[in-house]
Amino acid sequence: MIPPALLLLFFFVLPMLVMGSFSFRAGSFGAERQIWTLDNYRDFLASTSFQRLLLKSILVALRTSLYCVVLAYPAAYYLVFRAGAKRSTLLTLILAPAWTSFLLRILSWKMILSSEGLLSSLLLSLGLIEEGRPILLYSMNAVIVALIYSWLPFVALPIFAALQRIDKSLLEAAADLGCPPWKAFLRVTLPLSLPGVAAGFFFIFIPTLGEWVTPALVGGVDGVMYGNIIQSQFVSALNWPMGSLMSLVMLLLMLIILGALSRFAYLLPLEEAK
Amino acid sequence: MHHKRSYRWLLAVASVLLALVVVACGAKSAGPLMVLDWADYEQEVFWADFKEEHPDQEVQWTFFADDPEAFAKLQSGFYADLVHPGSSWLRVYVDAGLLEPIDTSKLDNWSGIIPSLAKAGQVDGKQYLIPWEWGYDSLLVRTDKVKEMPDSWADMWDPQYKGHVSTFDSAEANILIAATVLGYDAYNMNDTQMAAVKQKLIELKPNLLGYWTDYTEVNQQVAAGDVWLAVTWPDAWVTVSGEGVPVEYIEPKEGRLGWVYGYALTKASKNKDLALDYIDAMISVDSMTEMANQYAYGAANQAVLNNVNPEYIAAMSLDKPDVIERTQFFKPLTESQRQAWITLWDEVKAAP
Repeated sequence: MIPPALLLLFFFVLPMLVMGSFSFRAGSFGAERQIWTLDNYRDFLASTSFQRLLLKSILVALRTSLYCVVLAYPAAYYLVFRAGAKRSTLLTLILAPAWTSFLLRILSWKMILSSEGLLSSLLLSLGLIEEGRPILLYSMNAVIVALIYSWLPFVALPIFAALQRIDKSLLEAAADLGCPPWKAFLRVTLPLSLPGVAAGFFFIFIPTLGEWVTPALVGGVDGVMYGNIIQSQFVSALNWPMGSLMSLVMLLLMLIILGALSRFAYLLPLEEAK
Repeated sequence: MHHKRSYRWLLAVASVLLALVVVACGAKSAGPLMVLDWADYEQEVFWADFKEEHPDQEVQWTFFADDPEAFAKLQSGFYADLVHPGSSWLRVYVDAGLLEPIDTSKLDNWSGIIPSLAKAGQVDGKQYLIPWEWGYDSLLVRTDKVKEMPDSWADMWDPQYKGHVSTFDSAEANILIAATVLGYDAYNMNDTQMAAVKQKLIELKPNLLGYWTDYTEVNQQVAAGDVWLAVTWPDAWVTVSGEGVPVEYIEPKEGRLGWVYGYALTKASKNKDLALDYIDAMISVDSMTEMANQYAYGAANQAVLNNVNPEYIAAMSLDKPDVIERTQFFKPLTESQRQAWITLWDEVKAAP
């Protein structure tokens, strides 16, 4: 009904323009909002801690996406080529955790990992630790683990779809021509599934880079991410111009990274659809 | 066709009726009283006197979750007659031209208000905030986990508490603590001193388990033994000690930090007299007694003290005027100060 271009204009292009214009304003409200300035850009360039945090967050997002892909690939492979009749049951099981609220799942993890939690009490009763303590919680690693846990199903799906589309006769042909299974995997299955891998990778990378809820819940002092500072600038500081600028910088870097990655691997999933 | 016409006819009658109703009501009052408040304070027991005085007056509440949200709402043109800010936000509101000074002679219950708290509600000598509740930020200590009781804000930096300290995710509280430890006047710092405060707060990071945002979470961390020293509010002591956990709400020798909240009248208000009646009901002894016993906060009305749970009086040191005297109450920040403080705090959080 609504032309897609109009939808994009109202819900993507316009908000982006508003955000972009805010990054040049002196304040969020009143007379200050009407003043145009480059001060925000100067302040951001001067703040090495914000820049370093952005870099750190990019690395965290890249690692999270990579681990997700590495963990999800074997599962998706098993589902497509080995699971047989159990396939749909197993696929449902993979997706089942995503049906519960994300917050509930993170909070349950905290109940398991905190110092009076399940794991700590177990280790305590086995005599492996001397006093209860939080295990893994409140660190950047906790953030990465929680992110992998919550995003895993979403990266498994595109890989599953890509593997399922592979024409099985190609593999039979490879076997007929004397190609050992491992080589057939490397030369046939893997390359053909790469668009799914790339889609899954980007699907995780994009939301995790701006993530702030998970770090706020399990990150502690060490696990603060760039998204937490953007949130603070908008919500606590009421410094919408700086918040907008920080979001813009993140968006720009994200586009550059995605562009570079997709070019590097010749993997743009859209091209494959042609 | 027929349907369409009867629909139009109905609509015309309805709008005439509606217009009559609006005119009739307008003659009686200027619409509902709009209160921009924290959730929970809309309980009728807090404004029972107002209800008695104006039984037919409608009151509507809009809730906010923190100070910046309330300010942003009013700044964006949201209509309210009353707002419930903290004293440290007062100057920002006044500078933005959002508030109207209050003539306290119109408030029957004004004489009961503690003078030092009344003063915290003034900007440039004018009373903008009528204080309602106040309380502390101080250290809640697990007495069984520490070797000796901390007695200074500086003890938060003591390496023996590595990983067992938690502080409120608040620029104001932490900058005031660090400035106190460094011996600065937080509200009059030069750039070198600001840089030193930032460095000091970065040095605190190895000792911190986290910056808490949700006070039920920090209560649970103290109860679980993850956190031994927590910068938190008196109600944390009530909750955690109520669970049988050995904790003490200490007074650092430099004094606790203190906050004051209350009601302010907006410049935009079309119901100014009504709004003042509402404030008057809120600052009555009965209303504040209810508040003090529900939340273990301090009441701005001195007479409430006799009616408060003795346990809460002990936690708040309400019976010890010298403790209150030493308390460093948050002072109003200007907008540029506020921005500078929050940016400093964000840079501390972003630092490796």
